[in-house]
Amino acid sequence: MNVKIIVRVLGLLLVVEGVAMLLAFGISLIYKEYDQAAFLISSGLNIALGAGITYLTRNAKREIGRREGYIIVTLVWVVFSLFGSLPYVISGAIPNFTNAFFETISGFTTTGSSILNDIEALPHGILFWRSITQWLGGMGIIVLSLAILPVFGIGGMQLFMAEVPGPTPDRLSPRIRQTAKALWGIYLIFTIAETILLWIAGMELFDAVCHSFTTMATGGFSTKQASIAYWSSPAIQYIIVVFMFLAGTNFTLSYMALRGNFKRVFKDEEFKYYALFVLGFSLVIFTGLLISTHTGAELAFRDSLFQVVSVITTTGYVTVDYLKWTPVLTIFLFGLFFFGGSAGSTGGGLKIMRIVLLLKNSYYELRRMVHPNAVIPVKFNNHSVDSKIITNVLAFFMFYMVIFGASTIVFSFMEPDFESAMGAVATSLGNIGPGLGNVGPAETFFHITPAGKWFLSFLMLLGRLELFTVLVIFTPSFWKE
Amino acid sequence: MKVVIAGAGEVGTHLARMLSNEEHDIVLLDDSPEKLSRVSGDVDLMTVVGSAHSFQDLKQTGLAKSDLFIAVTPFEERNVLACSMASYLGVGRTIARINNSEYLQPRYRAKLNNLGIHELIYPESLAAKEIVASVKQTVTRQHIEFSQGKLLLLGIKVRENAPILNRTFEELAQENEHILAVAINRDSKTIIPKGADFILNGDIVFFVTTRMEQQRVFELTAKEPFEVKNIMFLGGSRIAQKALEKLGDQYNIKVIEENIEKCEQVAGKYGNALVINGDCRNLQLLKDEGLEKMDAVVATTGNSETNILGCHLAKTLGVRRTVAEVENLAFMSLAENMNIGSIINKKLIAASYIYRFTLNAAISKVKCLTASDAEVFEFIAKANAKITQRPIKELGFPDEAKIGGIIRGEDGYIAHGDTHIQEGDKVVVFTLPSGIKKLEKFFK
Repeated sequence: MNVKIIVRVLGLLLVVEGVAMLLAFGISLIYKEYDQAAFLISSGLNIALGAGITYLTRNAKREIGRREGYIIVTLVWVVFSLFGSLPYVISGAIPNFTNAFFETISGFTTTGSSILNDIEALPHGILFWRSITQWLGGMGIIVLSLAILPVFGIGGMQLFMAEVPGPTPDRLSPRIRQTAKALWGIYLIFTIAETILLWIAGMELFDAVCHSFTTMATGGFSTKQASIAYWSSPAIQYIIVVFMFLAGTNFTLSYMALRGNFKRVFKDEEFKYYALFVLGFSLVIFTGLLISTHTGAELAFRDSLFQVVSVITTTGYVTVDYLKWTPVLTIFLFGLFFFGGSAGSTGGGLKIMRIVLLLKNSYYELRRMVHPNAVIPVKFNNHSVDSKIITNVLAFFMFYMVIFGASTIVFSFMEPDFESAMGAVATSLGNIGPGLGNVGPAETFFHITPAGKWFLSFLMLLGRLELFTVLVIFTPSFWKE
Repeated sequence: MKVVIAGAGEVGTHLARMLSNEEHDIVLLDDSPEKLSRVSGDVDLMTVVGSAHSFQDLKQTGLAKSDLFIAVTPFEERNVLACSMASYLGVGRTIARINNSEYLQPRYRAKLNNLGIHELIYPESLAAKEIVASVKQTVTRQHIEFSQGKLLLLGIKVRENAPILNRTFEELAQENEHILAVAINRDSKTIIPKGADFILNGDIVFFVTTRMEQQRVFELTAKEPFEVKNIMFLGGSRIAQKALEKLGDQYNIKVIEENIEKCEQVAGKYGNALVINGDCRNLQLLKDEGLEKMDAVVATTGNSETNILGCHLAKTLGVRRTVAEVENLAFMSLAENMNIGSIINKKLIAASYIYRFTLNAAISKVKCLTASDAEVFEFIAKANAKITQRPIKELGFPDEAKIGGIIRGEDGYIAHGDTHIQEGDKVVVFTLPSGIKKLEKFFK
């Protein structure tokens, strides 16, 4: 284990976080609120510490193996959350450290669960920092660093693979650095486009920027306590729906589309299923709402579409309290908690590709029983999928469900209401945001016990790094030389 | 530079790894996902699963915007076809790996060029050439000729009886105007020596000299060339066959080969060799066939371990010249320390042959030095290149590289500090891998 290089990379990334804090500092200067000192201190601390570490480890061997990759990536998210909570604590916006850490890791993992009971009371700098944590976490801290820092060399690949696991690797260009740049380029373009559209549609510029950050990251932090419900404008809500949908689409496809290759996008199987799931679930809930309530057809359609896209992409914005729907509709929506966006998107959850592969493989298993000697490979995008990938997806699904079940039981000790416990675990593991029961869309996570908050924080990290990267560190064989 | 490599075999993956480390953009194409996933795990490159001779798959690799296409699948016809197709799709330059020397003949060159196949590489032939050179040059570990022998690079292991032992490179240079030691290989590490460094027992010293002064180098290192007459080949692989072809009739050659069909093939094709069917690891057989009476033993079975052991055995029995083919890169330094004479590696030879096409400067020859990752280049000094503007000592030449000599017109000269390189000179430069990039700007 090359400990020195692990420390060095972490140090370098601390500097990156410090620079990001300077952006929030800039905002606090504009609005002249009480959070200026907090950002200056935390940013200074980050940069000084990071630079110091980088300097002390300058002669580290530039070798990042598979194991170092897993450790670095996991630790980066923990370290970022630890240091990222400094502005909250120092400024006094969230004086309690556990709460501040929960809020930060919920940000970086793009979960969007919040402990804040009065968001509007916070200074603008803090709100901006909340949004930017999600934006950084959305495309990935490592991916960002690969794109902007020319220091990783060959080891960058190990890190990239640990942070962006996905069922099949997708490369936009021969160099990992170019791939990272292309991904961040699209991310940036979409973010700017959304900001402009939201601004035109009547949102204030500050809110537009913050919401674009958290939409593209499929994060879900809002600058308003009521989330998107604060804006009743259909235009704003539809714009956000579109961009949530884009954020949940494989960024490789967006890259192709931006270069004019639409054929490839519409031929993509995962995209087809993704669109199908969104439309199907929206229609079901839309019909349900029409029957069970007396809202107008447009509003019912908008509510169902918005909630479905928000949950399936694991964003977690709300325009309506879905717990007040007829229970069967809420259950439908809760089912979507396990879907997640497309592979290669910023969404969390199981991912559409895995679900499709699982369904196909299970269905083919039946056919294989009828024809025991038949060779029936699982096909995806007209290519047969390697059985190794199928095994991997099966293992992933198994882990996901076991962790969900076990965590619900563990969490029930800290949160006696079963429905709430289940909702909180599912939403943390899927990086969604709101849950069920007393952590539903109209509630916050403030009342959860400290132990419960740390537990959920761990689940968020687990979900963001797609289980394996974190889990592998806890296996004995990982540590055997 | 964007490079597409078809074929993730040994040569392909080695090239991909090397070129990727040199900051080239690599796309690797192969029809086996397993082979690709083995490489993509630790090399920064893009992989495409597909066939080298499918327009669709070739397009997927982004050939139209690439500068170089290298086809190194195991199948010659596939490589040739793939190169032709790649040219059609708009790649800058193509290189095909072949295993048929007919294509190498100059009279077919233009025809192949018309088909879009610009360069050919025949790794087995290159390796065989190396074997023949080391059998003929009995003193050196490595013997590289530049411009038909106008300059020579000799790699010689210095033993305790050598007169230059424990002397400094400065002394060596002062006493011998026409000999320059450009590098030494000590404890598996290649060092560019400074004037005050000493030559120690066990060093492999690389000298640049002219053919006239070659004898003087042998005197300095107390080496006596001897004539090789009896050669034993362990294994009748394609490399061995190619070497048999090049060696001709003036040697007594025995070939030991385990596979009876191969034996028949070799015996049928090459009348100059006595083919013996048997296991190369069978000591008794080797002794019966007179292993200790051999002047040279060349081990070219497909198995690196067998080759290493065979040569080691031959050395202990007193064979003066041994050449082992070691394909397993991890074994190279081990083999070097085992004192088994020359080592050749098909992959490295092929890779350094292809390597020159990725550099911008005009290069007429590239050779890698076995048992070290260093390379020797023969650059052509273009008009207005930086290298021609000042004498060598004022150039600020990188420490990782050293100019060995120049070839001007018909004569080779050893480089000195005040040598001023002129346009059109061929310059022999020795460099460590870290210096390659820096060299480019001197010769552009």
